[in-house]
Amino acid sequence: MTTIPLTYPLTLGAILFGLGLYGALTQRNAIRILMCVELMLNAVNINLVAFAATLREAAAAGQIFALFVMTVAAAEVALALAIILILARRESHIDIERVHLLRW
Amino acid sequence: MDATRIAFIVLAAVAVVSAFRVVTAPKIMHAALWLGFTFMLVAGVFVTLGAEFLAAAQVLVYVGAVTTIILFGIMLSQAAEVRSRDPLQRERLEGAAFWRRGVLPVLATVAFVAIMVTVYMRVPWPAPPGGVIDTVRLIGSALFTTYVIPFELAAVLLLIALVGAIVLAVRDDNKEEQGS
Repeated sequence: MTTIPLTYPLTLGAILFGLGLYGALTQRNAIRILMCVELMLNAVNINLVAFAATLREAAAAGQIFALFVMTVAAAEVALALAIILILARRESHIDIERVHLLRW
Repeated sequence: MDATRIAFIVLAAVAVVSAFRVVTAPKIMHAALWLGFTFMLVAGVFVTLGAEFLAAAQVLVYVGAVTTIILFGIMLSQAAEVRSRDPLQRERLEGAAFWRRGVLPVLATVAFVAIMVTVYMRVPWPAPPGGVIDTVRLIGSALFTTYVIPFELAAVLLLIALVGAIVLAVRDDNKEEQGS
């Protein structure tokens, strides 16, 4: 199916996941954190597709898992942006360090 | 070194740079556009890995929908810091915040990537099989036989997310109208 060794896409997935992780941990802007989470989900999808391409018996399962990850990501981004818009309207900022609505 | 492998390496290199710009671009609008570009490149990576259907779904769902929703979210929110330059990035970190926000994320990220890459290099993976499989037919038949219950649940999940997003957005509007 492909001639790419399995380590290449797995390494790409690890690097993209690491970049998303770093962004999600350091950024304070809620929308940018959401973008970094999407990046991490995409990195996981690369891993799933790579395993599906190399392991013949997992060809269907890997791609269908990636498809479900995409579905959940689409649902997640819609809800997260609705929440962020409410936050921006209510607090007039989206700095997650200054949001204490659920803390106490 | 065949064409597929070269294409994969080029796409991967550009994708890493583009993903780095998502995290570091000073304007959030630019970060969103870089994110869309990264999604496009990941779709290209899917094609080189022989997953054409997923590449099409990636373009439709991520480039078409997610990037557009994020751009709409940026443009619709009234908070100034959302739309303009990110003022939060250039703050100086001191004391505990320096460790929590400056050192710890770098350590966690570097440790994660190093451990994962080491594991990937050590494991004796099976060689990639040759030949072509009709993955679209394979996914289609598996989705409606083995995975039919998760498939229907995904439909319900999307419906719930749709209704939830509408409820969240609309209810807040009403409250603001009553309050003013």
